[in-house]
This record gives sequence, structure tokens and C-alpha cells, in this order.
Amino acid sequence: MTTTPAIQATELVKTYSGKDGEVQAVRGVSLSVEPGGIFGFLGPNGAGKSTTVRMLTTLMTITSGRAIVAGIDVASDPDGVRNKIGVALQEAGLDLRQTGRELLQLQGRLFAMSAADAATRADELLELVELTDAADRRIQGYSGGMKRRLDLASALVHRPEVLFLDEPTTGLDPASRIVVWDEVRRINEAGTTVFLTTQYLEEADQLCDQLAIIDAGLIIREGSPQALKDELAARVDLGREPSLDDVFLDATGRTRDRVAGQVQEVRS
Amino acid sequence: MNTTLILARRAFREGIRQPDALLPTLFIPLFFLIVNVGQAAKIFPTSGTPFLAGQNYAAFQLPMSLITAASFGTAALYLVEEIEGGYFDKLRATPIPRASIVLGRLLAEVPKSILISTVMILVAFPFGVRIRAGIGGYLLIVLLIAGWALVFSGLMQLLALKTRSAAATNSGSLVFFPLLFLTPSLVPREQLSRPMEIAASLNPVTYVMETARSLTLYGYQWATIGRGFLVVGVGLAATLALSVRAVNRYD
Repeated sequence: MTTTPAIQATELVKTYSGKDGEVQAVRGVSLSVEPGGIFGFLGPNGAGKSTTVRMLTTLMTITSGRAIVAGIDVASDPDGVRNKIGVALQEAGLDLRQTGRELLQLQGRLFAMSAADAATRADELLELVELTDAADRRIQGYSGGMKRRLDLASALVHRPEVLFLDEPTTGLDPASRIVVWDEVRRINEAGTTVFLTTQYLEEADQLCDQLAIIDAGLIIREGSPQALKDELAARVDLGREPSLDDVFLDATGRTRDRVAGQVQEVRS
Repeated sequence: MNTTLILARRAFREGIRQPDALLPTLFIPLFFLIVNVGQAAKIFPTSGTPFLAGQNYAAFQLPMSLITAASFGTAALYLVEEIEGGYFDKLRATPIPRASIVLGRLLAEVPKSILISTVMILVAFPFGVRIRAGIGGYLLIVLLIAGWALVFSGLMQLLALKTRSAAATNSGSLVFFPLLFLTPSLVPREQLSRPMEIAASLNPVTYVMETARSLTLYGYQWATIGRGFLVVGVGLAATLALSVRAVNRYD
């Protein structure tokens, strides 16, 4: 029996108009994410990770190609997709003047819950991310880790089928990072497919069943962490068991002399 | 409840929680009122100045201060803060009409503007300023000024959506600010020098000011009132249409 992928992207392209002509941030990304897993999307700064996520989450138009998320076409039914996905982007996108409880209740109302249902769901989520004690404090007083956990909770308000996490632990201290990892595992165990972008290879190794590495707007490696390590070991003798760092460097090393963070520029 | 109202309630709550952002809106226009009246009241005494219609010069200046206060909306600054901080994307990832995001913030400006206008009129009251058109005139004035607050905030929100920058949005409000002074702010339009009269006649703010002034000094002059509300109506329709278009096309 074949299962419908939670995410199916085919030849996704994103082109911007820049001052010096056209900039292609994503140059034909195709990927398939099976439901129920944690999919890691790795790449150096400016490789096209966030742009790909923004296209998949309806936040950015797709220049060409097609994306199906939770069985719904992103371009033709963006609201349908928004009802099925949760999104926590690079910056913990929070309204700092609200309390944690107000933010979650508002999120529930925006997903068409009644005020009573939104309040109940907010209480559940505050407990899940261990923020009940801070629920009625303004978010601007929260620590970085607390903000991240609240951001995660707000992405879960409507019980999404697919959760997109764009660098969820960037800027967190190691203890807070482990707490977020635990949350991600817990969310996944509850049945939510997780699409995670990260620059931390240890994070990807710890959490992900499947990985894709993107560089310069193109997928350059794809597979399970172990399969990618085995493939490198079979090809290159490092004199030790390869790590995911080795896989990443091998995949992206050919562009090491390029300035980190640059995207490929194509003059029109 | 409609998502626009839900987001308006949130924006209003935020406004209340930031009284420091509200105080300059009240203080600066009152400061202008006091300074302008202090400087020019002796030139325009109640007796012998027909355009004052028996009131003192503060009554003539009050509409200018009300319009200035309405041009200090914070909706755009909060919006650009959310764009820069990422919450705007969080809202865009929900299945609500994107227009609700800008309309909700704008709607919250209405009660704020009514509150500020009322406070300013009450402050002017002990100084002998009266609304000649009575309670109905007061209601028309606060409605007109709230409409103007929406026009101005809508323009600023449009700028915020286009530039996505707090600095550019702030600068934009400074560009619009001189429009407030290319008006018959100190004397009636017919008493301005010819170039200033032409400039003031081309400036839509003039008609809003003249409407509020006519209700304050003269009562119901329907032709003047009609022009003022027409300017606000057209301005509102244009800024709302452009803001909604901008947020729908935001990429």
C-alpha cells in the first residue's frame, strides 16, 4: 500500500527581482516527505532553506513548480493548506504585548474556534509546553527558550497534520535546545509530521528520520542520516565512522570558497 | 466574531497597554494649541474678528489640534514592528482574509481617536471653547476626525507594507506632516496670501479642517460639512483599497 506524502514538492523555483537582475534563491527543489516522520532540511546560510519553507507554508508565491502539502495544492488552495499546517518560523513570531494565554487564545480564534474552545485549547497547550505559571505574564518578559516553546504551542493550536519548524533552536542555550527537541519528539509521537530546517547537524542527527541537504538552491543529498553516512563511508576513507558533519562538508565543500550566505545570482 | 473585530480588539488592548505611545498624541497637539493661541490670540480678539463668530481664538485653533492628534496613529508602527519581528507572518499563516490583518489594526484607531478628540474638546471647554452645533456637532466632529485618523493610519500602513522598515515608516509620517500646515491653520482660507490659498485649496486636509471649524464656530453649514466628509470618504476608500491590495500581494 502506498501512502500519500505529507509534503510533495516538484521542481520548486523561486526567483526574485534584484537591483542587478534576477536572483534565483531556489532553483528546482523536489522532495517527498512521508507522513508521521521528522524530516530535516539542512543547508548553509542562504542556501534556500527558508525560501523553500516559505513557499511550502503559503507565505511566499511559487515562481514555478508545484507543492502539495497535506494533500492540498499550495498555490490553488492556500487557506486549505493553512488549516492543515502549523508554522514556527526563524524568529519566534510573537506579539510581545500580549500574555502567553492571550496569544494562544487569539490563535485559536483565528482558526475559527469558539472563545470557550480557544480558552480550553490554550490551557492544554500551556501545560504541554510547561508555561502555565507564566501564562498571564506579557511575552516580552519571557526568556528565549520560553518564547520558542510558546511559538511551538501557537503552531499547534489547531492540531495541524504537518508542522514546519524553521531553525527552532537558533540562538537558544544548550539546555533550552534540549527542551525544544523533547517537545518536537513529543509532537511527532502524537502523529504530527515535522518538517524541520536547521543549521545544527547534531540536531538533525538526533531528531530526523530523513534528511535533505540544500545548497545554492538545489537539493544535493537526500536520505536517512545513517544512509548518508554509509554512502560517504563507502566512497571516502576517513579512517573513522563518518559523522553528519562529514556528510554536510562533503556535500557542500565544493563551494567552500564561495562567500557563506550568498545565493546564486543569475543576470537576466 | 469576525476576524477583523478579533484583531481590532487585540490592537486596542495593545494600545491601552502602551500609554507612553498615547501620551505624545495628546500632548503635542495640545502644545500646538496653547502655543498658537498664545501667539495669535491678541491679533485676533473675539470682538472685531468676524471669523471667530463671537468665540475666542482657541475655538478657531481647536480643529487644527484635533487633526494633528489624528495624524499620530500608531497602527503602522505596530504593524511594521510585527513585520520585522515575524508575528505578521504568523498571522499570514492562518486561514483568515489577509485584509483582516490591516483592517483590524485600523479599526482599533477609531475608539482611540474618539477618546483623544473628546479629551481635547473637554480640555478646551474651560477656556471658553464651545461647539456651536451642539451635541450633534460634537458627534460629527469626532466622526470626521476618526475618519481622518483612519485615512492617515491607512497611508502609513501602506508605507509599512511596502517598505517593511520601521525607519522608513517613521520618515514617511514626517513627509505627510507638512500637509497639516499647508492649510488655513491660522486664518480662514480667503485671508491667506494667493500662493498659500492655492496650496491650501489643493490640500485635502483643508476641507477636513474647515468642516470641523464650521461645526465649532458657525453650526451646520452643510456644503462645508459635505466637502469634509467627501474628502474623508474618498481618502478612506483609496487607502483601504491600496492597503488591502498591498497585504494581499505581500510576498
